[in-house]
Amino acid sequence: MECVVQGIIETQHVEALEILLQGLCGVQRERLRVHELCLKSGPSLGVVPSEVRLLCDLDQPDPTWTVKHVGGAMRGPGADQISVMVRTLIESKVSKNALRMFYALGYKLDHELLKVGFAFHFQRTANISVSVSSVNKMPKVHAIDEAVPVTPGMQIVDVTAPATPANYSEVAAAVSSFCEFLAPLVHLSKPFISTGVVPTAAAAAASLMSDGGGTAL
Amino acid sequence: MDGGVGLAATTQPQQPPPPPVVEKLNPKLEKELNLESLKTRALSLFKAISRILEDFDAYGRTNTTPKWQDILGQYSMVNLELFNIVEEVKKVSNAFVVLPKNVNAVNAGILPVMLSSKLLPEMETDDNAKREQLLQGVQSLPIPMQIERLKARMDMIAAACENAEKVLADTRKAYGFGARQGPSVLPTMDKGQAAKIQEQENMLRAAVNDGAGTRLPPDQRQITTALPPHLADVLIINDAGKIALPGQSNNINNQGMMQVSGTQFMGRSAASPSGPNFDNTTSPLPYSNSPRATGMVNAPSPQQQILHQQLQQQQRAKLMQMPQHQQQLLAQQQQLRQSSMQGLGQIPALHDLHGQPQQKFQTLHGQHQMSYSQPMAGHQQLQARQLSGGHIQHSMSQGQLNPATNRHLNQFSSGANSALFTSAQGSPSSQMIPNMSSMQSQTLVPRMQQFGVSGTNPQRSHSSQMLGDQMFNSSGMMQTQQSQPQQSQQQQQQQQQGGGYGNMQTNQQNLQSNNNMMQQNAQQRHQQNPQ
Repeated sequence: MECVVQGIIETQHVEALEILLQGLCGVQRERLRVHELCLKSGPSLGVVPSEVRLLCDLDQPDPTWTVKHVGGAMRGPGADQISVMVRTLIESKVSKNALRMFYALGYKLDHELLKVGFAFHFQRTANISVSVSSVNKMPKVHAIDEAVPVTPGMQIVDVTAPATPANYSEVAAAVSSFCEFLAPLVHLSKPFISTGVVPTAAAAAASLMSDGGGTAL
Repeated sequence: MDGGVGLAATTQPQQPPPPPVVEKLNPKLEKELNLESLKTRALSLFKAISRILEDFDAYGRTNTTPKWQDILGQYSMVNLELFNIVEEVKKVSNAFVVLPKNVNAVNAGILPVMLSSKLLPEMETDDNAKREQLLQGVQSLPIPMQIERLKARMDMIAAACENAEKVLADTRKAYGFGARQGPSVLPTMDKGQAAKIQEQENMLRAAVNDGAGTRLPPDQRQITTALPPHLADVLIINDAGKIALPGQSNNINNQGMMQVSGTQFMGRSAASPSGPNFDNTTSPLPYSNSPRATGMVNAPSPQQQILHQQLQQQQRAKLMQMPQHQQQLLAQQQQLRQSSMQGLGQIPALHDLHGQPQQKFQTLHGQHQMSYSQPMAGHQQLQARQLSGGHIQHSMSQGQLNPATNRHLNQFSSGANSALFTSAQGSPSSQMIPNMSSMQSQTLVPRMQQFGVSGTNPQRSHSSQMLGDQMFNSSGMMQTQQSQPQQSQQQQQQQQQGGGYGNMQTNQQNLQSNNNMMQQNAQQRHQQNPQ
């Protein structure tokens, strides 16, 4: 289970956001370079198609693979009152054979993405991870070197925190209160809900980048 | 110092500084009006400040984070009120004279200086210097002209100030830095830009969440460029240059989908679930004792054999890493496999059942997947079939087996792990989880020994007769296994096998997509059960 919010930010303001996050999180930023393969099961595997995501972390010298299954989000009036999306998530590290195995099982490659950016992982009542990345698509299958951004001028901001059914309300509160700090630069909302950019982001970014405002990284 | 408040005064704050005439008005009345309003202002200021202090006290006590927006608003209000009061006082203070109320030793020394209107020497020199600066250009001219020039200068400066004020106000509005409240007016982004941004945002969000816009058309879904390093050793590209993706072309299907899982499904075809591809393979059930097979024999195609050799080479490389007795076991299995591939379609089937997990295990050994084989000893052998899937199952079963996620996981694992999963559902979780958790703690060697026991099973039962015994007679299985040294284990295995099969039957449709072998077993069991 996880609490997740998403937002968009213009590429020109990403540096300012990084400075802001550095100040808020207090941890070192980590480079993010993930090849995400989304596999979908065909109709022969079941009535309802299921989707599995394989993530390969290319940043390490030895690529590490993770399998992730994203479930449905919590619904209902209770969920509407929470400002973050709470959804089931199953994640696990796997070996590199996972891809072959899924192909053997009958899953087919639906789409793949390359996410390049940075991430911060810190603790603030909950283990929150903030990642800012540009999403790239590949013109040819598995051609990572030829990846081009889906939207060159815009990057995606992801704030996630793992939760359990017992504590998800606290985690949701922690995530939403953290998101308030990012309000000058990025509007965060549940995935699939569009927010637009922050109109005053330019001013906020300018103040963050100025020497008088803060320390440059 | 008490200025206007403490003294009686004849002033009207709302009117210009009092001309002498005003003093003749009723001083008491004026005074009252004046003082009352001043008093109310002072009181409201006091209340505002005390409110802020209370808020901070509360924040401190409850350890909540304050909303800075509100606090800033309160501060600015206080600021404004104070400013007004001071303005008021300034307006009327001209009419007053400061009379020190409280003279004591402390302030006796400074009072005369503060009361005097004469400038201090430094201030005087400063003043003179500034005056000189001002009158620099015009000192030579007659006075009226001086006055004019100075007035012109003042007008210019006033105009410049006004413009600056205007610009500041506009910018403030544009960025929403209102005087007292927070961002009230959003800057006007022109519609075109806003629409463009909206469109981009939708594209980006869709790409991340759904994958929209990133999918390649079907005719481009073939691997033509070199694989990146992290995929190079994961995916096998067959001779045709296409990745072993099931269902993409007939070419692959004709090769019996051997490449699909690499080493894991040797000796079997049709590992893919896709419907139309079945027709091109050597059918779903290449086993001659299957009720559906029509006398077919699983004669491997030349391509299969070539691949088999390739895989053998790979396995040999892996053999180097394994301890000796494992190598022997593997060698035995390989011999068995080769012989079985010559014509006995059934043996691979059975062999797969017992030996397959071992093979899988061994080939995976080089990849450090030891934990998967442990369940074989303690669980159904079917569980061990899905070694690579078992990993995922492992993570899923740990604490996430509740009804909601069960359904969820069922969809997810429908093909691969249904037997495992349903047995997990059926059997108490306490069975599963301790074994799962102890998976990692077990070492390789003891498990191999357990394997060794079951591995020899097919060797003894080389004939189809044995197969018949095993497949069609559960007691037959018992018999063959009782002769094993580790009886209890085998019985345990067998019992759980029975359980596994029983569970399988209830989920036949789930199994179709993956393990034809299991399907066949289920059918056979089904036939056998009524006996």
